Amino acid sequence: MGGVGAMVKGASYSYAVFCGSFLRSPRLSFSIHNKKKKLLKFRSFSSKSTCSSLQPPDVSRLAKTAQISLTPDEIEEFAPKIQQVIDWFGQLQDVDLQSVEPSIRAETENNLRDNVPETFDHRDAMIGAVPSYEDPYIKVPRVLSMD
Amino acid sequence: MILTLQTPRPLSRLPRFLPFSTNASITLNQSQPATCTSPPPPYSQILSTRHSLLSRQFSAADLLRSHLHRLNLTEPHLRSFLHLPDPSDLLAQADSLDRRIAAGEDVGPLAGVLVAVKDNICTADMPSTGGSRILEGYRPPFDATAVKRAKELGAIVVGKTNLDEFGMGSTTEGSAFQVTANPWDLSRVPGGSSGGSAAAVSARQCVVSLGSDTGGSVRQPASFCGVVGLKPTYGRVSRFGLMAYASSLDTIGCFGSSVADAGILLHAIAGHDRFDATSSNQDVPNFLSHFVSASSFESKPLKGLRVGLIRETIGDGVDAGVISAIHSAASHFEELGCSVNEVSLPSFSLGLPAYYILASSESSSNLSRYDGIRYGNQVYADELDSLYGSSRANGFGSEVKMRILMGTYALSAGYYDAYYKRAQQVRTIIRNSFTEALNQNDILISPAAPSPAYKIGEKKNDPLAMYAGDIMTVNVNLAGLPALVLPCGFVEGGTAGLPIGLQMIGAAFGEEELLRVGHIFEQTLENCRFVPPIIAEDIAS
Repeated sequence: MGGVGAMVKGASYSYAVFCGSFLRSPRLSFSIHNKKKKLLKFRSFSSKSTCSSLQPPDVSRLAKTAQISLTPDEIEEFAPKIQQVIDWFGQLQDVDLQSVEPSIRAETENNLRDNVPETFDHRDAMIGAVPSYEDPYIKVPRVLSMD
Repeated sequence: MILTLQTPRPLSRLPRFLPFSTNASITLNQSQPATCTSPPPPYSQILSTRHSLLSRQFSAADLLRSHLHRLNLTEPHLRSFLHLPDPSDLLAQADSLDRRIAAGEDVGPLAGVLVAVKDNICTADMPSTGGSRILEGYRPPFDATAVKRAKELGAIVVGKTNLDEFGMGSTTEGSAFQVTANPWDLSRVPGGSSGGSAAAVSARQCVVSLGSDTGGSVRQPASFCGVVGLKPTYGRVSRFGLMAYASSLDTIGCFGSSVADAGILLHAIAGHDRFDATSSNQDVPNFLSHFVSASSFESKPLKGLRVGLIRETIGDGVDAGVISAIHSAASHFEELGCSVNEVSLPSFSLGLPAYYILASSESSSNLSRYDGIRYGNQVYADELDSLYGSSRANGFGSEVKMRILMGTYALSAGYYDAYYKRAQQVRTIIRNSFTEALNQNDILISPAAPSPAYKIGEKKNDPLAMYAGDIMTVNVNLAGLPALVLPCGFVEGGTAGLPIGLQMIGAAFGEEELLRVGHIFEQTLENCRFVPPIIAEDIAS
């Protein structure tokens, strides 16, 4: 398995090498996604397209979905790194996966326990861990309706 | 720079390492550091401990004090532990054990054995932070099943070890609290995410330890720290009480200074658990029967074993020193009677992006439970969404935030097919390629990592560079297979060389074979003991 372009010495080249092999596979075809933002290139490996409907990651929006309040500095710091990794994920688009069944996990048996309720012995310890508790309620602030 | 610990000599009555069996000859391999005169390794510190306790040679309290002494000397330099209990609590457990032994009672196979536990594994009597500020100070209301079982068999939990936050990372620099140093070279990382557990065993601060392996987090630190790391088959050990990172990939694994020790610990914790619906009903074989003295081996003890060396792991991108160590290991297998062939795993390199898609996606879901409401640290706000947002922003570190965001992206409506589903399909391909290879071979071998331990700070700002180091390990998690890493050689670096680990991969639920083969390989390796310089003075006896 060869490397893509020049083998760059240093910490990151091994990744480029390992990803190199099937990026150069001749039977693959791909189109360059027409992105509004400037594509970030990682060494000599440029971002490949996904389906043209996939927008690049919008970190602010993702943070809202994930319920993490990022500072503007964090958004600026994370965006290029996330972009880089998502681009790297994109290489799976070019692999022929027709008629391959997805695996949820390694094979495991179907082990269900009986549907019988049990009492948890350490209820006090569990309640003790709640930051804001007023027996018997877990206190939360008001929930605003979405605007 | 050699760190010499100028210490008052420990009292002569405190036990040192107890050699149980000896190999007659020691020859130095070409890749060994020049000076190495220590005797060959005992084949099991756990079995030696048991022998000493039952023959009243030493007491459990003595053994505990000896380890605690070493732990206290080394800990300021290593920072393996996030939490250490009051020594008097531990002494009370040791004293109680000594009384039971004196009374002639039966004691479990782990009696008096000091076990360190990675801090993402719940312990009711000690804080469990997952390496994260969001759980700083959190005390779980229960023990993880693996911890419970170890304690029932007599183990003494000596402390909670450092890790990359929630298991996300490969250097332990991702901990919210401290950076653990590699006992072989204090300027280097111990690996991750179970870096603290690996360093603690490597520096003999404890006897064995528990870690978790989702993408290599037991095997890679084992390689970097020169200890044995065992990742069981998915489903072999209950995940109940392991803070979930990627539920289809997570396993609890074992560290030891010998294959036998890792195997004995695995035997103690493995087996079906009704609290983990993915835990297997498969019987746990008696691994212990294989941990026999080398003097009882035949001349070609592994005759007929078919060993497949994975071609894609010894090519470009792998350190020359690592490749050389693996080739030496292959020669050693041949000397033991194996037939070693190269085997190619098609699509090997696809595993890395597939793994990171699956792991980020599953982690974004698993970490949504940390909302500051029922447990963990809360940042109060007047309105619920802000409370969630602030608590999580304040509590999570950067790597965790990024992985959650990447996972959120990959699972967004309309993107599932492009990323997560494709990654699951790649998972099928990889599983099938392993199955095929394990039909032709009894075990597969590869390096555990493409390089020895990195310098602290080397991979800090380059996520893809860090992910690249996991290339040897992630496919095993995707396929759910068991793997054993054991130290097989050194490369230059540090003051006494840097250890290199050999990874052995077996068929599903094939831990018995891995342990049998690994034990024989280890006991016949004409080599130095893998004892890091920081404690070499203390151990040499």
